[in-house]
Amino acid sequence: MSPSVDYHCHCLASNSAPPPPHLPSSSYSFHPLHELFFCEECDAVRCNRCVSVEVSGYYCPNCLFEVPSASVRAEKNRCARNCFMCPNCRNTLSVVPSDPPDMDDGRSPSAAVSAVGEPPFFLYCNHCRWDSAEVDITFEKPTGLAAQLQKYEDSAPDSLEFERLKEHFEPFLRASSSSALAGPPPTAHSHHPHVNPITAAASSALARDIPGVGKYTPHPRGRRDKGPRDDMVEYRSRVEVGGSSTMGEADVEFMRHIEEVSEVAALEQRWANSWATSLHTSDLKPLRIPLHSKKSKRCPTCRHILIKPEQKAQSVRYKIKLVAANYLPSIKVALPQPMDLVRRGAQAARPPGGEGNSGANGLHAGDTYPFTLSLTNPLYDPIQVRLSVQRQIPPASTTVASDAAPVEKSRRPPFAVSLPSSAFPIAAFAEAWEYEDDEDMFGVDDDEFGFEAREKEGKAKNKTVGVLEKRANVTVVGGEVVIGKDAKGEVKFNMLVSYTYRSDDPLPEDDVRGTPSRTKAPEMKTFSFYTVVNLGSIVPRQETKMDTDP
Amino acid sequence: MDTPIYYAKTEFIETDTGNKVSRRATIAGPQNIILGGKTIISNGAIIRGDLKRTGPGHAVVISLGRYCLVGEGCVMRPPYKTYRGNFNYYPMKIGDHVHIGANTVVEAATIGNHVVIGKNCVIGKFTIIKDCARIADNTIVPPNTVIPALALFSGSPGRFVEDLPESTQEIVEAHTKHYYTRFQPIER
Repeated sequence: MSPSVDYHCHCLASNSAPPPPHLPSSSYSFHPLHELFFCEECDAVRCNRCVSVEVSGYYCPNCLFEVPSASVRAEKNRCARNCFMCPNCRNTLSVVPSDPPDMDDGRSPSAAVSAVGEPPFFLYCNHCRWDSAEVDITFEKPTGLAAQLQKYEDSAPDSLEFERLKEHFEPFLRASSSSALAGPPPTAHSHHPHVNPITAAASSALARDIPGVGKYTPHPRGRRDKGPRDDMVEYRSRVEVGGSSTMGEADVEFMRHIEEVSEVAALEQRWANSWATSLHTSDLKPLRIPLHSKKSKRCPTCRHILIKPEQKAQSVRYKIKLVAANYLPSIKVALPQPMDLVRRGAQAARPPGGEGNSGANGLHAGDTYPFTLSLTNPLYDPIQVRLSVQRQIPPASTTVASDAAPVEKSRRPPFAVSLPSSAFPIAAFAEAWEYEDDEDMFGVDDDEFGFEAREKEGKAKNKTVGVLEKRANVTVVGGEVVIGKDAKGEVKFNMLVSYTYRSDDPLPEDDVRGTPSRTKAPEMKTFSFYTVVNLGSIVPRQETKMDTDP
Repeated sequence: MDTPIYYAKTEFIETDTGNKVSRRATIAGPQNIILGGKTIISNGAIIRGDLKRTGPGHAVVISLGRYCLVGEGCVMRPPYKTYRGNFNYYPMKIGDHVHIGANTVVEAATIGNHVVIGKNCVIGKFTIIKDCARIADNTIVPPNTVIPALALFSGSPGRFVEDLPESTQEIVEAHTKHYYTRFQPIER
């Protein structure tokens, strides 16, 4: 695995320090930079785990039809056109005509027939060769298949049961919503999306029908609602599930006589259904394709929009897109192997595609490795960056006294990291560098690169920690990691990055949001964020080697 | 980080618009193939521009946009079908910033911009891949599949796995441009 840098999002936790990197769970709070968002209003990083998501539009992933949200519910979140999934392999099914009737040789088939093909039509899977004629589903015409299938679907026992259930709860829902409107609106209600009438009704029904299941009471206020719940008449299902023992016996009989495994529908093929279905593969029905959605994302605290896609389903543009990559410097870590440095100095050819080699060899215990961090500034202003390794004892974990003792040993990392201690500048991002389209531009780059490499070769002996290279809006700094003699595991450490920038447009809203703690001078601002740097895993030292080592 | 990927200068032909085509690639019917510029055709790739619609004159069979990469050993073949009793090939259109991994077979009808296709994939006939989609390595995409924008597909048959991040376009664009600048000749 090549070395990586991930960025921390504290996800609204009060403690903004990241968890220690050696905990497996810590990976959940770190994300690649390009997956993060940035809320300008809160001046904070947001990730996919903490943003609130809203659906801004539905579309079918197969026919790419944009389904109006009004009809999404009626169509049960599935495509109501010609899109079906193979029940066997989940591939998209295509409509095929039957084989044309045998013609006399030399006579071309009539034009009307050959245009669309011969009925009956059926659905065919290009991948596993399943076809709907196997389950006796054929169509008169190749269009509007969903409408033609509608009658099958509506007569299915599960959808009938669902309709009945909806009917049953309808009066209760109406009553509860009207009573909620009539009574004083409970303020806590809006903060608990789980306590909607449907959940309450379902939980009440469950508690009544199944002994031993406690009622779902999110807060004591629930008792007040008890009255209307008990008014409900008992629901009787169309089919008694427990009663029909014959079905189970039939299944046993079927399983006893199977000749091929493929006769039995796999769990994966059956569990998409809402109802217990038969075990026979031959009973599988084509599935309508579930819709996908375009989502807009909001900051969880200030509710400002971070992501707002364009209306068109297949557009990849966004009306609003506040991603962290436009605000935070991006950091790339590299671990030049000694071999690598030599090769680079000699300007030797490297085999194409072999660029992933560096760092793949692993780190050996007891050795010292230099590494480089190249920071790229996305801002139009120059920034001053300061790096520091996070102190290993985060304040939060001290509260867990009982856990502290065993953790203590593992907390001390078996390696020491040194980073440049002083702040260093990164030049501003300028649009011009993006347009390095021309050859001569690259030539300049190449020369510069060559110089730097040669220079670095000389320097490498005496200086590995500090600023190594500055070009355009990129600054490369070097660090060093000393790995303990009997170290194992991964070289992974949390790094605090703070950068100072000049906010040169003193907009009024800027002044409001700038918290005093962050603002040093009137127009200088500092922003800090945590990253985790993973340099790779340590190769444990061989016993024999250890002895020879002084 | 900026390590160049070297190739022997004699092994590739560079065009005025910066396309780099390997001499060891098989380009059939070059008059029917359009390369947008700064596109790399690697060693051992096979591009079948000769499989054109029946009829006189030349037609565009395969068009690739800018900053594309056709990996080593890839096969690019226009899709075909029999419609109203006539067998025909249909053109294949590929957008900008499309990388296709090594040993992948592509018979797609349309591939959008900023699409990344992994190694050892099979992209079936008449597949439509929308912008910024990504196909994982070793994926089999059956014929006539539609892959929506910003979707990751993988498996056999290729299925939707997850939505890609909103910044995929920028990432892919930076990656393809970076790859092109790293792809440098060396005298041997």
